Amino acid sequence: MNFGLDRFIEAMLYRSPPYILEHVQLVLIPLGIAAAIAFPAGVLLTRPRFRRYTGRVMSVFNAGQTIPPLAVIALFFPFLGLGYRPALIALTLYALLPIARNTLAGLAGVPFEVKEAARGMGMTGWQVLTQVEVPLSLPVVISGLKTSAVLTAGTAALAALVGGKGMGAVIFAGINFFRVELILAGTLYIGIMALCLDRLLSFFESRITPSHMK
Amino acid sequence: MIQLERVKKVFPNTAVPAVDELSFTVEQGNVCVFVGPSGCGKTTIIRMINRLVEPTSGSIFIDGENILQVDSDRLRRRIGYVIQQVGLLPHRTIEQNVGLVPRLLNWPEDRIARRVAELLEMVGLDPAEAAQKYPYQLSGGQMQRAGVARALAADPPIMLMDEPFGAVDPILRGRLQDEFLRLQREVQKTICFVTHDINEALKMGDYIVVLNAGKLVQKGTPMELLSSPANDFVKALIGDDRGVKLLDLTRAESLVADGSIKSPAVKDCSCFIDALQPVKMALEQMMKHDTDSVGIRRGDEVIGALTWAEIKKHIHRISGDEG
Ligand SMILES: Nc1ncnc2c1ncn2[C@@H]1O[C@H](COP(=O)(O)OP(=O)(O)OP(=O)(O)O)[C@@H](O)[C@H]1O
Ligand SMILES: [Mg+2]
Repeated sequence: MNFGLDRFIEAMLYRSPPYILEHVQLVLIPLGIAAAIAFPAGVLLTRPRFRRYTGRVMSVFNAGQTIPPLAVIALFFPFLGLGYRPALIALTLYALLPIARNTLAGLAGVPFEVKEAARGMGMTGWQVLTQVEVPLSLPVVISGLKTSAVLTAGTAALAALVGGKGMGAVIFAGINFFRVELILAGTLYIGIMALCLDRLLSFFESRITPSHMK
Repeated sequence: MIQLERVKKVFPNTAVPAVDELSFTVEQGNVCVFVGPSGCGKTTIIRMINRLVEPTSGSIFIDGENILQVDSDRLRRRIGYVIQQVGLLPHRTIEQNVGLVPRLLNWPEDRIARRVAELLEMVGLDPAEAAQKYPYQLSGGQMQRAGVARALAADPPIMLMDEPFGAVDPILRGRLQDEFLRLQREVQKTICFVTHDINEALKMGDYIVVLNAGKLVQKGTPMELLSSPANDFVKALIGDDRGVKLLDLTRAESLVADGSIKSPAVKDCSCFIDALQPVKMALEQMMKHDTDSVGIRRGDEVIGALTWAEIKKHIHRISGDEG
């Protein structure tokens, strides 16, 4: 395999860009669904009624994190088969964990006396949750979201393996045809996308956090 | 009025009850001070009264109504609560923190603004300066005072104050106590006040409840506690200067005997105190002027004299052998 600059430029300018949108979808859709599941789940698990399950669920989450991303897709292959939708589902499952974990950690990190005071002043359980617990744990939740985003951006490349499209198609084409320029270009784009997402979320985070709590 | 009837709290996984079969009543307009060593259950009692903790057994009544019959959020909005660890909301300004309960009660904004300014002023914080700050920008003592202001905000008829002045310096604490007592004479709230400082208890309380290990040891007025402590625990709590503390609570006029205006001591007096001042002041004056008698004045009129011998006799009479 040898590197050709013109072929690399060609890969960067023409071969890869058509896959950008696909790849962004492969990241944002699972991320959105994962957040929509993991965040409420984290909230539920910190409510008194369900708190006793927190330990068990946490350990499942932690164990889930240790399974390599490729294994997640491979594991679900028998049930979901091939294609775009199975890839989305596998990616969603993989993105769940950091968000749920950070939601739990964030909510657990809200000082007891602050919740106690809020309740003692006569805030309803819902008001304490929405006006005190969620705002105070949001920085931690968003950092989980960032972890998930970066993780999913990378893992989504594997979707191409099961026919799920995305930037992975460029990379695997490069691998199959011994074209290092394609591999490099695809990887570069994924890196840029991950970085952009991270920045975007950081910006969002800084907008909603009072200056002293960053 | 707050009534506790055989209230007991055993926390899960603990062997001994945090509060054990406690019964007492705090009458409307009274300040009841809970005093006792760390871990004796003071905070737990307070938290049971506003239903942050449910008693294991026994019942609590507020104005005759069992608190279990009242919606807990609504109950808490009419009970001011100063929590021991302050617990200001870190993501809200002091203005928002103090205005929390009025906002929950849907007061109009201009009324909230006026109330917040008034309260900050009262607890010795400059409204112009402090209102827009976040809690982390205040000192511990300032945060604590903001916590007191927050509890007072909606003018609740009942206050639960868990060591409200614990973090402020002695001078300011004295001022806040005086301000509190002055205000209390006007507004006549029903107040449960927690402290582990016996001097604060003696100063603030209409009644004092002495607790140890979750049990009531003695309940009485400051005078009753000082003159007849129930046991060695209460004696130790009060300290070795029981006699002096008694004299601090005794007004000079109460020791001036009817005929003492004619006693020869009055003529010799080189110094005077006001009739309403504590007898302790008389002692102070005696030491300062190196004399055995102090004249007692009411306004401009001399009404009698107190002598060292009389004070000594009084202490012996009221506290038995000691003094
Ligand atoms: N949520 C809880 N779970 C288990 N035990 C508790 C809980 N809250 C308090 N306790 C225990 O109950 C006892 C009384 O605690 P409490 O906080 O009422 O003491 P306190 O008199 O307020 O002490 P301090 O002066 O230190 O504030 C202590 O032994 C404490 O360990
Ligand atoms: Mg306490």
